[in-house]
Amino acid sequence: MNIKYLIRRINYYVCGAGMCLLIPLMLLTAGDVVGRKLFSKTIPGSFELSEYILAVFILLGAAYTQQVKGHVGVDFLTARLSPRVQTLCNILTLSLSLFIISIVIWQGWIEGIRERTVSDMLRIPQSPFRLLVAIGGFLLWLELLLDLVDSVGKLKRRAL
Amino acid sequence: MSPILAGIIGSALLVFFLFLGMPIAFVMMFVGFLGIGYLASINAALPVVAKTIYETASYYPYTIIPLFILMGGFAGNAGITRELYETFDKWFRRLPGGLSIATITTCAFFAALSGSSVAASAAMGTIAIPEMRRFNYSPKLAVGTVAAGGTLSFLIPPSLGFVIYGMLTEQSIGKLLISGIIPGILLSSTFILIIVFMVRKNPGLAPSNPEGVSFKEKLLALKGVWETIIVFMIVMGGIYLGFINPTEAGAIGALALFVIILLKRRLTLQNLFASLFEAARISVLVLFLVAGANVFSYFLALSTIPMAVSSWMGGLEVSRYVVLAIIISIYLVLGCFLDAISMMVLTLPVIFPVVKALGFDPIWFGVVCVIMMEAGLITPPVGLNVYTLAGVVKDVPMQTIFRGAAPFLLSMIAVVILITLFPEIALFLPSMMGR
Repeated sequence: MNIKYLIRRINYYVCGAGMCLLIPLMLLTAGDVVGRKLFSKTIPGSFELSEYILAVFILLGAAYTQQVKGHVGVDFLTARLSPRVQTLCNILTLSLSLFIISIVIWQGWIEGIRERTVSDMLRIPQSPFRLLVAIGGFLLWLELLLDLVDSVGKLKRRAL
Repeated sequence: MSPILAGIIGSALLVFFLFLGMPIAFVMMFVGFLGIGYLASINAALPVVAKTIYETASYYPYTIIPLFILMGGFAGNAGITRELYETFDKWFRRLPGGLSIATITTCAFFAALSGSSVAASAAMGTIAIPEMRRFNYSPKLAVGTVAAGGTLSFLIPPSLGFVIYGMLTEQSIGKLLISGIIPGILLSSTFILIIVFMVRKNPGLAPSNPEGVSFKEKLLALKGVWETIIVFMIVMGGIYLGFINPTEAGAIGALALFVIILLKRRLTLQNLFASLFEAARISVLVLFLVAGANVFSYFLALSTIPMAVSSWMGGLEVSRYVVLAIIISIYLVLGCFLDAISMMVLTLPVIFPVVKALGFDPIWFGVVCVIMMEAGLITPPVGLNVYTLAGVVKDVPMQTIFRGAAPFLLSMIAVVILITLFPEIALFLPSMMGR
């Protein structure tokens, strides 16, 4: 129970940390335009910084989005089934999701450590951001696992 | 097994898991992965999903999504919705169904600041519905107006609908956004016409408010509108003149609204976090869907299905408008079960090549497509706006909201027909654009 709470809290704060970058992103992009149009001066590397910020923001938010059931699905059909069948459907689809996210983590990690590119202007290495695919994927995987454990628990309780 | 057969089996699997309730983004990644593994090789399939996720999440033009959502969040926090509503109430009070007209106009103006329709429905649900109840409006009309008005955010720029359409079809997002302006005004006007018509026919629907408003009061009330107009002019004007790109416009719009919140001293940490979490949740949802769609499209391309379908459609001996009517009916049906973004992500990889092969203008089809997505927001059994509204107005049954919104569906269809007859409605503004 405590581990579940801990994972959910961690994912909440990780998303919170990532989302705060949205304010700098807004200021950076707006500042770059104003500087370019009014003073003919650009903020160096604002383009690539924006890309990195978006990557952090999205990849760290993936797990929290699953936590609040933000990854949309179609439930009007399953909602009509019996609770037992619903739980079985959940277990199946969660297992498949866990499978595909495992591949994302594995391959994201390989790609991440292999990556040697640096950004054009500021020479920021891309590797840590690529690795976020594996890290964000892992957090998402944990979140999906919690949901799976919940569903299996439900099924057991019914069986007893 | 031929590639086409593999593609058909893959699509069937996709639909099957979809109906089992698997999140759409993960289904597309999963089936796409299996399909690429089968049609190319497992070594080719393994890195695809991780690579696509990173490339989608770090693509500069997509920074527009959180920025547009942030605009809507900030506009809500600044209390702009309420001010707009008070202004338009004063102006339209004496018309038949005045409060409903004020609601639609407020939604249209709010849509000029916000890209997501759910935010508008939720905000208007708490502001406009109590007011309409106070004047004994029929609950059906009251909730129907708010549900339909909320959909305007999807069409009137800044609009998430056009951004996602542009992302999936590689069309200019700036042109798409600008092309939504006139149809957006047209659709709002037809909504108002329908209200006037209904209330004229049955005055009991909306008893009029006897309190008159002096002209001076009306003029003074206009101060509730200027912020919206200025921000809209900066954002859309900038795009229209080619002065800034849509992403930059999103940043400037969000910043301008942020400054307005600061000036009004309405900034609370709680509201700011709520807006940021909202932006994070929707952006992740959208970009994972797009990443999933890209993986799945790669598989579809390998299966050669999109080419086969569009050459088959192109070879049909029927008018292209028949095909268009079929596509629109498909969207109407799908809209009953899928939310707008998922619907675009799932259908465009196949439908867009067909539309292009038939010689329709891609920007024009974007407008048609977005209006059909709006219809999906209010059609039963699954209408996102109706669900949101039912969450805000707890004592009105969901069926009442669906029935209340139904007349507005007719005006959406009417506007689609108008735009088909006169494509200039959508294409005139973008054809004059600076860039």
